[in-house]
Amino acid sequence: MKKYFRELSVAGALIVVLLALAVFAPAFFQPQPLLSLLTREAPTLVVACGMALVIICRQIDISVGSQFAVCSVTAGLLAAKGLPLPLTFLASVAIGAGMGMLNGLLVAGLRLPSIVVTLATMVTWREALRWLRQGQFVNLPDGTQWLGLSQPAGQWTLIVTAIILLVALALATKHLTAGRFIYAVGTDAEAARLAGIRPQLTTFCVFAFLGALVGLAAMMNVVQSPQVDPKSGSGLELKVIAAAVVGGVAIAGGRGNLLGVFAGLLLLACISPALTHLRVEAYWEKAIQGAIILLAVVADGVRSRKQSHSHG
Amino acid sequence: MKTAKHGFKASLLRHETILLFVVVLEWLYFNSVGPRFGSVDNTFNILRHSVEIGLLALVMTPIILMGGIDLSVGSLLGLCAILFGKFWRDMDMPIPLAAACTLGVGALAGGLNASLVTWLRLPPLIVTLGTFSLFRGLAEAITRGVDTFTNFPASFLFLGQERWLGIPAQAPIFIVVAVGIWLLVHRTTFGRSFRAIGFAPEGARYAGMPVERRLAMAYVLAGIVAAVAAIIYTSRLGQAKADAGMGYELFAITAVVLGGTSIFGGIGSVHGTLLGVAAVAILKNGLFQARQPEEFADMLTGVLLILALASSLIPKMLASLKARRQTSFTKPIST
Amino acid sequence: MKHTLSLLLVAGLVTVSGCGKSDSTGNPASGSGNGKKITIGLMPKSKGNAYFISCKKGADKAAQELGVDLVFNGPTDPDPAKQNEIVENWITLGVDAIAVACENREGISTALRKAKSKGIKVITYDADAQPDAREFFVNQATPEGIGFTLMDEAARLCGNEGEFAIITASLTAANMIEWQKHIEARRSSKYPNMKMIALRPCDDLKDKAQSEATALMSANPNLKCIMAICSPAVPGAAEAVKQAGKTGKVKVLGLGLPNENKRYVHEGVTDSVILWNTEDLGYLTIYSANALAKGTLKAGDKSIKAGAIGEFQIEGDSILLGKPFIFNKDNIDKFDF
Repeated sequence: MKKYFRELSVAGALIVVLLALAVFAPAFFQPQPLLSLLTREAPTLVVACGMALVIICRQIDISVGSQFAVCSVTAGLLAAKGLPLPLTFLASVAIGAGMGMLNGLLVAGLRLPSIVVTLATMVTWREALRWLRQGQFVNLPDGTQWLGLSQPAGQWTLIVTAIILLVALALATKHLTAGRFIYAVGTDAEAARLAGIRPQLTTFCVFAFLGALVGLAAMMNVVQSPQVDPKSGSGLELKVIAAAVVGGVAIAGGRGNLLGVFAGLLLLACISPALTHLRVEAYWEKAIQGAIILLAVVADGVRSRKQSHSHG
Repeated sequence: MKTAKHGFKASLLRHETILLFVVVLEWLYFNSVGPRFGSVDNTFNILRHSVEIGLLALVMTPIILMGGIDLSVGSLLGLCAILFGKFWRDMDMPIPLAAACTLGVGALAGGLNASLVTWLRLPPLIVTLGTFSLFRGLAEAITRGVDTFTNFPASFLFLGQERWLGIPAQAPIFIVVAVGIWLLVHRTTFGRSFRAIGFAPEGARYAGMPVERRLAMAYVLAGIVAAVAAIIYTSRLGQAKADAGMGYELFAITAVVLGGTSIFGGIGSVHGTLLGVAAVAILKNGLFQARQPEEFADMLTGVLLILALASSLIPKMLASLKARRQTSFTKPIST
Repeated sequence: MKHTLSLLLVAGLVTVSGCGKSDSTGNPASGSGNGKKITIGLMPKSKGNAYFISCKKGADKAAQELGVDLVFNGPTDPDPAKQNEIVENWITLGVDAIAVACENREGISTALRKAKSKGIKVITYDADAQPDAREFFVNQATPEGIGFTLMDEAARLCGNEGEFAIITASLTAANMIEWQKHIEARRSSKYPNMKMIALRPCDDLKDKAQSEATALMSANPNLKCIMAICSPAVPGAAEAVKQAGKTGKVKVLGLGLPNENKRYVHEGVTDSVILWNTEDLGYLTIYSANALAKGTLKAGDKSIKAGAIGEFQIEGDSILLGKPFIFNKDNIDKFDF
């Protein structure tokens, strides 16, 4: 119970918010809009899982937003050219993995600091895409939206996919040795190396995996509408890092689990629609987001101070 | 044996010297390609456009040297800008008083970062990520997004827009802050401890250095300088808006890292940061004068950053090659 | 010692290179009489924006016809100072005329006044600066016209009564604030039974606009109409209405590009897309800038001839493209931008 204190407190905060909404704005709980909200957040959840793994490994990747945009637009263009949908999915994942591998090479291979590397790749991908696309939408062929299924079927498919991925990854990080390697490298890379783990390979794989997940998430977003906005994914890195941090993933690495990330994501995703339902003005949104992030981190800090004091 | 730190050959290979060459090369290249590039007007443009970002980069250097980071400086610039406008317009303060109050706000905001990082020992990346959102959010909330502050008196606008004794009026402030921070970091014992703290915080603590206090001071200083930058920005633009300074923190970090300061702390210099700011500013302006699109300049900056990072590995690789050659005669005892 | 050496080196370099360069304090060639090509700087609100790209298409055509050199550049990041910096760099570059779509009315005026004082001709298009900072404003329609048309259409679609919500790009965009003022003025004077119940920004993102629209519909079951005044928000809101199954019950209209909305207009989700011919706007802007630089356009003129697209009225210092144009089911297919 104590071990999952953080994750439970975030879930608790989420429940408090939902209760407040139930009292003051019960309209929030209509099934159709809720379904839409969850569907829209499904791609974000996928990326958040990948980002959590990177952070647990003591790295960070702020280029995911740009990667998302590149994958979305490229996949859209391929689909518009007639590439069948399954192949488009594969292509998007491959492109994402490729960009992730570039990050991984620079961070793990050349031992460059991840925040700066991903800062550079973020800017490079974003500006290249902007230059090439100049804001033009990509029109998707019929049959792309909702994977050719009906809207509810498509929405549930996306949500279930995200949940399955979440559960699979949560189990994998706990039970697969590869998953444990990530925690080990994130806690102490040198000790991991002495124990026979290869930290550089692990780091590389984690970045590549995040890239692949971004590619998947980009496709999951693309199939939700008949057009691709080249600006999609804007602000994604902030969203997923905040979700991870609020959900208990430690920036110093080695700690955190995906269920906490899930709770953190839901909490942060509720803010905007909650404000609309509670008739709070839109300009409060950023301030509230920042406050939640700070509260989460402060709570962490206070708790660890108490712990270190009690342990002498 | 002469230590590798000194000596002409070693100084050639230092990061800052290479960067200086890069800056010179950039200058020469753009001078030949852009017809108006080297003119006084253009040089002053480069200077005037870089002052606020330069200030942020300068003040981020001690923080990063100590192993910290501050992502909130750009948002703080925006918050200070609109508060400055509010103090002057809605509270009828004369400009100097409004400026002083704004500096106070900057110090308080820096203090918030400082207390969370030093007192609660929270990771600076996340704390300043939170304040990055919070400060910008407060700026938007205070102005309800729509309010802007303009019609400042001409005497105030002089600071950002006119020339004083032949050079842009904000330049003296920049020079004073630059020299001040350089002296602080490189010539005071106080500042010299920054690198020690960044290199090995525990060791520094054992050595009796007040690590937390110094780190806190660096964050508060960052807040004050961000406020100064906000005032100059408002004067240059003639307008204070909630989205002022968006993206500045990333540019500042780029300049600092380009200048040879390690993001992990412990290594770096203020003159490196200045060179980093110059390198990026000249690159952007030069490409503009050469009629290249803005996106291209940003992309090149990203590539330049990676090259700079990778190039700092070269001395390490050379050193490890040398070490390997030296120890090749003595084989380790096999287990 | 090392540092002083570097400082001296840099200072020397700067001085030496500055020696051969003329300052832009000399007036840029006025283009008339010495055969030099006129250079016009055209700036969008931001780069990577499909609306401004379509303006640029018309501008390119005009530049080709007139034989002027067109420099197109704009900010890639949201910082308000970027537009100023580009203007200042253009002053140094020595352009003859500048045409800017202004993101920040007062801020950009600082730089534009400077350009004017150096003899560069300044006009604005799409979004205006302060009147003393420029000579003419090429207006696709007055903000009043835009606001009124939006409100009139919304009222027509809702039967003159009901709740509506506005989705804008960001709360700080100056011209959208202006339009909102006129929407409100029209509403209170002509349609008091219509109520505006919310204003939400979408950060110029289609996906965010979709989320906002979904939340708005869910929070306000009596919502009758969504007015999307930033172009990605029109398809975004339309998709939200479609996915919520409220096609026909919640009306969608807004300022958007035809190509992005054809699908929804034909499906009956979006009723009216209001815009103007953006290519013509760009074309007229370049013709006006050129005329100004050549001296054929002066203050007090009542009209201007713009090549292939005809003659346009000038009201005071506003060159009017015309009235806002309403794209709907019947005509949207005729346009491709």
